[in-house]
Amino acid sequence: MNKILARVLFYIGISLYAALLVLPLLTMLSVSFRSDGDVYNPSFFPPNPTLEPYQIALEKFPVLRFLGNSFLVSSLVTLGVMLISSCTGYALARINSPVSNFIFALVIGLLLVPGEVTFLPLYIMINRLGWIDSYLALTLPFIASPIGIFLMRQFFKSLPQELFDAARMDGAGHLRMLWHIAMPLATPALGALAALTFLGTWNMYLYPLVVTNSEELRTAQIALRFISSDEAVRYNIVAAAAVIILLPTLVAFLFAQRAFVRGIAMGSLKG
Amino acid sequence: MKKRFLALGLAVLSAAALSLAQGGRTTVTFWYALGGSIGEQIELLVKNYNSSQDKVTIKAEFSGNYDDTLNKMRAALQAGKGYPNVVQVYDIGTRFMVDSGAVVALEDMAKKENFDISKLVSQPRNYYTVDGKMYSLPFNSSNPLLYFNANALNSSKVEQRPFYNLAQLEDTIKRLTVKDASGKTTRYGITFHADSWFIEQFGYNSGQAYCNNENGRKARATETTFNNPASVAFLEMMARLTAGGFAAPVGRDGTASLNTFVNGQAAIYVSSTANLFGATRAVGGKFPIRTSFYPFLKERNGVAIGGASLWMLKGFTETEQDGAFSFIKWMLDPATQGRWHLNTGYFPVIQGVTKTPLVQSGHSKNQNFITAIRQLETSKVNTVSAGCLMGQFTEIRTYVVSAWEEVLKGKPAKQALDEAKVKSDAALQRYNATVAR
Amino acid sequence: MERVLPSSAKQKRILWKPRPDWLEMLILLVPAVLLLSAFVILPTIEAFIMSFQREGLLGRNRVFAGLENFIEVFSRPENLQSAWQSIYFALIVAPLEIILAFAAALLISRPFVGVAIYRTLFFLTTAVPTGVAAIAWSWFLNPQTGWANWILASLGLEPKQWLLDTSTALPTLAVITAWAGVGFAAILLTAGLQQIPEDLYEASRIDGANGIQQFWSITIPLISPTLFLVTLLVFLRSLTAFGQIHLLTQGGPADSSMVWIYRIYQEAFFNFRQTYAAAQSVILFLVLLILALLQFRFIGRKVHYE
Repeated sequence: MNKILARVLFYIGISLYAALLVLPLLTMLSVSFRSDGDVYNPSFFPPNPTLEPYQIALEKFPVLRFLGNSFLVSSLVTLGVMLISSCTGYALARINSPVSNFIFALVIGLLLVPGEVTFLPLYIMINRLGWIDSYLALTLPFIASPIGIFLMRQFFKSLPQELFDAARMDGAGHLRMLWHIAMPLATPALGALAALTFLGTWNMYLYPLVVTNSEELRTAQIALRFISSDEAVRYNIVAAAAVIILLPTLVAFLFAQRAFVRGIAMGSLKG
Repeated sequence: MKKRFLALGLAVLSAAALSLAQGGRTTVTFWYALGGSIGEQIELLVKNYNSSQDKVTIKAEFSGNYDDTLNKMRAALQAGKGYPNVVQVYDIGTRFMVDSGAVVALEDMAKKENFDISKLVSQPRNYYTVDGKMYSLPFNSSNPLLYFNANALNSSKVEQRPFYNLAQLEDTIKRLTVKDASGKTTRYGITFHADSWFIEQFGYNSGQAYCNNENGRKARATETTFNNPASVAFLEMMARLTAGGFAAPVGRDGTASLNTFVNGQAAIYVSSTANLFGATRAVGGKFPIRTSFYPFLKERNGVAIGGASLWMLKGFTETEQDGAFSFIKWMLDPATQGRWHLNTGYFPVIQGVTKTPLVQSGHSKNQNFITAIRQLETSKVNTVSAGCLMGQFTEIRTYVVSAWEEVLKGKPAKQALDEAKVKSDAALQRYNATVAR
Repeated sequence: MERVLPSSAKQKRILWKPRPDWLEMLILLVPAVLLLSAFVILPTIEAFIMSFQREGLLGRNRVFAGLENFIEVFSRPENLQSAWQSIYFALIVAPLEIILAFAAALLISRPFVGVAIYRTLFFLTTAVPTGVAAIAWSWFLNPQTGWANWILASLGLEPKQWLLDTSTALPTLAVITAWAGVGFAAILLTAGLQQIPEDLYEASRIDGANGIQQFWSITIPLISPTLFLVTLLVFLRSLTAFGQIHLLTQGGPADSSMVWIYRIYQEAFFNFRQTYAAAQSVILFLVLLILALLQFRFIGRKVHYE
């Protein structure tokens, strides 16, 4: 009997906790389905649920465009990171030489430089290059990612030497070995890195804020700021926009939870 | 022989193409800094201009709020590219714009194009005149007003005055406040959000300059003077009213302030005349709005104009500059000014517009549009009401607003303002040193 | 795992001469080196250089100015305030986030019916971008209509102004930041918990230990390295939290949430003082560097631990 009571209490407890954690999101969801008049109505559920705020949000603001921008930028950066990290990581792992050792030490050093410190001079440089308001500015600086290089290097280092020796004997060069042997084996690591990079890029705020001016290039995160200051009091519309912007990462997370989890764990615990 | 014909043909073709291009429209980039309903009006203006002639196309872009626009422009100037031909910069950015050396003075363009700038109303013209030269076009000029909820006035049996000194205002606010049995306020007398502009205007209206050297007009401002008796009295009143539940606690939030008024939760709303159209629309049929002049301490001097002006930046071809100026000229056309005035609340900067039939009929429909104009007409014209001209104004405003908030939290007004003055003077000195560099 | 090369390679062996190692290495390394140099190393060096300069209007005419910027940073009291605000902020975020995440991780560490659902719910905040979290909370904390005050009211407590009050703005932002990071920390702590060998628990159960004893004698000691690491990580991240501040308070009210990174942004983009902001960036960099080195040292030790 005790056991059942304990079970029930456990379920109640954990459900309460989970509900509490999700509560702020729920309230945002709730207000996003209310018409202008109902916004200030104090109730859990919207009294007359309507899709009006979503309609208005989509009509008034190019939300899909913002999402598209975020998606484009995040995808480009993710692809770039995967490519560069694999190439560089492989070279650092399997080609022994003082040069690669030096570069690896450099990479480790760069792991310590957080983006927020360099955003100002980077912004000035981008400005001078005339890249303000370009996809180039949003993507190129992030393609060489120290964490990505580090992770792939560690992974490739962990592969058995015999694999490569056999290929060597067959006359394969490094590029061949990378493409035919190392990469196929790296799929889980690459998947995790992709998830980590995509999420990280999607979430970037400060740098895209200062580097883009026009509405066309605005990414979803910054767009929220503009929408919320434009529609300051119409919380329902702002909430609707926020929900729309939340959906992609939420859905991606629900489907690829494994990859996300692995990516985050790998990226932060470095092993 | 063939080759020669080919070359000739090409030359003719390219000449034709060239002349076609020149006969085509010049594009002029224009950054504006007002969103919402006023932004819509700007877009409308641009559209009308573009379709009214076939020489120039204005490419208008909303570049964010005033601060953001100034930042972007500054960044573009620093990079040497990407800046617009015409840009809307707020009043307090004037010193910086002139110091930057990156602008084409409007007066110079006007001389070149034989445009008579004496047609402009004197206060806006004076505001944007630095060292004897008018630099920018006062585009959206405003001044602050008191907005009243007429129903509240009636229900509390309070007479509306055309203008108020501080003591009278405080008394009116208290009488308009409605509290319930438990002492909780159900309707505030006033909603007055913290904004340095209000302190500036209160000072000017009370005869106090905001910065030295006669508001920076006789010589470059080197020191702030906002810690004057008018500002102190003003902040002390705000502290009393907020603590006593007579003033709504809206902090710095202008939108919350408007909302409080629109919802009938405050009887008086303080804002620029620029919000007249928007506020009237938001209030709708809930209650009639009435407006009065902005208050002063004891004796009324006059308010300075607020809002923004249009600047022309250097670095464009003569055709482009001419195109930009023709847009500005069109903006100053009485018909355009009249429509702009009635669709926003900003007052016309060209003399005589108020007498046109369009504006007269607009005024008869909504008397409130006249208030700002009357306030301007009856303001004394001196360096105090010319408004302060100084650098680093944006930063200094943040110190003043912080002081306001600190006073609301209990700090003595004189102390808060004195401390803000120290920070502001340091910032101003830094700016002046930078300009000298 | 063996992989057989396509036979064409075997045939080609005789036909083409393999590229020398150094050339391949070059091809593989050059892109990254160029990009890192251009977009990471160069800006970092530039930040340092700028911090020792002063500029004219519009950033022109930069001249060497020695330690002027740094002297200014340390002599202006508001910078001290910002430093304190950043630390205070991080000191709230880190423990709160860890406690919440650890509780969540523990709850889902044992398999039970429906654990996958709860795991998803607990990890969910990783999928919530900063902006969305800020919007959700701003509504939740609306003084007039938000549920936060409604909950307080139903408990008989006074409603709070939350983000609008100088004394509560910063802690509130900290709570929001902690909340947004719970998923992230929970993932890391779950990974850490999973690494604790099951046999230890088995063995102790045989020895008659109950849940609480197991927790204190097995779980806590073995999870401590990970706990410490994650706490440090969260602390570091919270020192550069920006998005939510920009969206919700812009450093206010009355500069009460003007953390260091936000002040840098303000000085650079509103007060137009890039060299001064560069000096502030350099100081931030040094602080983060020291903390990160600490973190690194710890990973190294942890690795050796195993």
